[in-house]
Amino acid sequence: MSGNHSAATVKERAELALNDEFLRKAVRFTTERLRNGKKNASEEHGNWDEWRERGRQIRLHTIAHLDYYLNLFADNARANGAYVHFADTAAEAVQISLAIAARKQAKTVVKSKSMVTEELHLNHHLGTIGVEAIETDLGEYIIQLAGETPSHIIIPAIHKNRYQIADLLSAEAGERLEPDTSVLAGFVRKKLREKFLEADIGMTGCNFAIAESGSIVLFENEGNARMVSTVPKTQITLMGMERIIPSFTDLEVMATLLPRSATGQKLTVYMSAISGPRRIEDADGPDEMHIIIIDNGRSLQLGDPEFQELLNCIRCGACLNACPVYRHIGGHAYGGTYSGPIGAVLTPALKQNVAEWDDIANASSLCGACYEACPVKIPLHDMLVYLRRRKVESGHGNKWEGAGMKGFGGVMGSSRLMRGVLAIGRLGQGLVARDGEIRLSIGPLKEWSRYRVTPVLAKESFRQRWGTIERELREGLSELDPAMKKRMEAMKNARAGEGGHGHG
Amino acid sequence: MADQTAQTHEQWLEEMDRKAREKQQSFIANIAGRLGRETAKPPAGHPYKGAPSFWQGFEWPMEERIERFSANFRSAGGHVVRVPDLAAASAFIAEKAKEMSAHYIVRQQEDALEALGLEEALPGCDVSVWNDDPGKPWKALAAQADFGVVLADHAAAYTGSLAVLSDKDKGRSVSLLPTVLMALLPVDRLVTRLGEILMPLDADGREKLPAGVHFISGPSRSADIENDLTIGVHGPGVVYVIVIG
Ligand code: SF4
Repeated sequence: MSGNHSAATVKERAELALNDEFLRKAVRFTTERLRNGKKNASEEHGNWDEWRERGRQIRLHTIAHLDYYLNLFADNARANGAYVHFADTAAEAVQISLAIAARKQAKTVVKSKSMVTEELHLNHHLGTIGVEAIETDLGEYIIQLAGETPSHIIIPAIHKNRYQIADLLSAEAGERLEPDTSVLAGFVRKKLREKFLEADIGMTGCNFAIAESGSIVLFENEGNARMVSTVPKTQITLMGMERIIPSFTDLEVMATLLPRSATGQKLTVYMSAISGPRRIEDADGPDEMHIIIIDNGRSLQLGDPEFQELLNCIRCGACLNACPVYRHIGGHAYGGTYSGPIGAVLTPALKQNVAEWDDIANASSLCGACYEACPVKIPLHDMLVYLRRRKVESGHGNKWEGAGMKGFGGVMGSSRLMRGVLAIGRLGQGLVARDGEIRLSIGPLKEWSRYRVTPVLAKESFRQRWGTIERELREGLSELDPAMKKRMEAMKNARAGEGGHGHG
Repeated sequence: MADQTAQTHEQWLEEMDRKAREKQQSFIANIAGRLGRETAKPPAGHPYKGAPSFWQGFEWPMEERIERFSANFRSAGGHVVRVPDLAAASAFIAEKAKEMSAHYIVRQQEDALEALGLEEALPGCDVSVWNDDPGKPWKALAAQADFGVVLADHAAAYTGSLAVLSDKDKGRSVSLLPTVLMALLPVDRLVTRLGEILMPLDADGREKLPAGVHFISGPSRSADIENDLTIGVHGPGVVYVIVIG
């Protein structure tokens, strides 16, 4: 029974995710679909590399002058009538949000999808002052009802099937809802509509903030971000400090890259630029708008030649869909707010905590697919190598990982070559999945740190297995060793009668 | 907290703002320091502003724009019809209202929409005009409406997107809350690229910006339940673009 954070390493979490057949299939299906969508959309658009380069240059330029552009943004947003706040830490951002909610005597806050609020665990904090935070993005709403965390940046409920969703929504409805998508969506539409109209505060994230006009820009498909920023009387927008771009002219490039990379759409159904609260005579839009600009570890990347480009990320999720490891184990295994290759680098970078987090970096094959997919060309695969090196340098590497480091050193120069020989898809996943049984109980709080994880198998055997995966990746083996396969099969059979895992 | 309630809301906001501006100093100084300078300075230039140059001059002839816009909008699940004039647009909306048994219609307060004469064309319907009486609960009215009728300010063919700009006569809710959205698009407002709509927002300057600029590229959709496309979970599930001219 270990409720202890450091005990829940990514390897254990990976095993946990592997236990859920549906999750694995869903993750693979969805990421495949998104990846193909992206591929088609970028090919159809043409000159993709030139657009990527343009995107990269705009992001590089903005981040290199972030101090100037943030000031410019704040000036213009204030001129539009918004209140602009700055928070060095998650705690400060929470404090400002709570102060506003308290002042407004808010009972409910409706939220559209925002990774930053996940980063702050804001819903939980709002709860402590008696404010109910309601996620309104369909997928986020579902996982909020389930008391879980998102497993994918773009499709947070990727790991739930329609029967599970029907159960959750039926409990909410107080009647039995058919597991039919249109019935379920219809219920959510009605239910959340009431919530939008009742809510005291609407809370949004921010995809881009335009420095020259003080506008925030939101990309979405459902319309809930528009709801949240149109209906309640007070709007709070939380943005990572790196979300800035200089102008609407630059937005054309981001609008070209982001939806195509995320879902393969030419543009999301809605793209909204919101410039301040409603004008005096307008009959909708918030009376009062607050924008909270958050550092929370981001500035640590500035001036760091190896990691500064992390701030260029536009949170499209393309690297997740491209990543063979993510496709294999799913988002929850990464343990942080951000999953996949970007999460593997961003989480430890934001935490500045090499010891605790960088085991995530080992859950990557360094194949370079993330870099190829990235619309702003962030060299994530190089960063993963830097992370591992830093861990070894800071004395946190153990023997096993030290050996891994050397092995990786050998193929680093030709890391691209590895793409062609990736073996992970052929590792007999069902087998690996079933033979490590882990019981999972979900606590009242939605942080992975609170999940209690009990590996049934001895740690050593998991290590050995993971080591095999790593070794296979390193050596480019394409088939599972037959003897190994036999052993694993025997283990699987031996375990078959032991009862399953579950959420309990 | 107790003494805060004694403040007026304005005083409280002022206090928050004062603190925020103070904080801004150290926040920005930290960034400047990390970037190796003492204070924030304007960049010498922005050499890679906007789309690549090969893209800038790209334009389709009008007929192709209409074709591409329609194809894109349809593939996102929307509908597009083309009519010769406002009278035909009015007849189309009336026909759809009858077909779908619409009762409540809300439209923006614009001359072209006034000219549709929806009240006369649909005697059985309750047609309200956005914000013609500031005392009414407009958001709730829009939330009950079956049809929202708007005039698009712009459209881009390449992505199949409408753009609607808010003001006192043009509610953001009208294109968002009703079950069905009817958007009129005069052909001369249809351009090829998004940039042709975005760049003038820069050129016109911040003061001219409305509170909301919304691009709409089809019906509200979600793929959150087993990747199964779900339409209309929040915004309008049915969207018609009526191209005029
Ligand atoms: S790192 Fe690149 S590919 Fe991954 S989410 Fe960020 S922008 Fe997208």
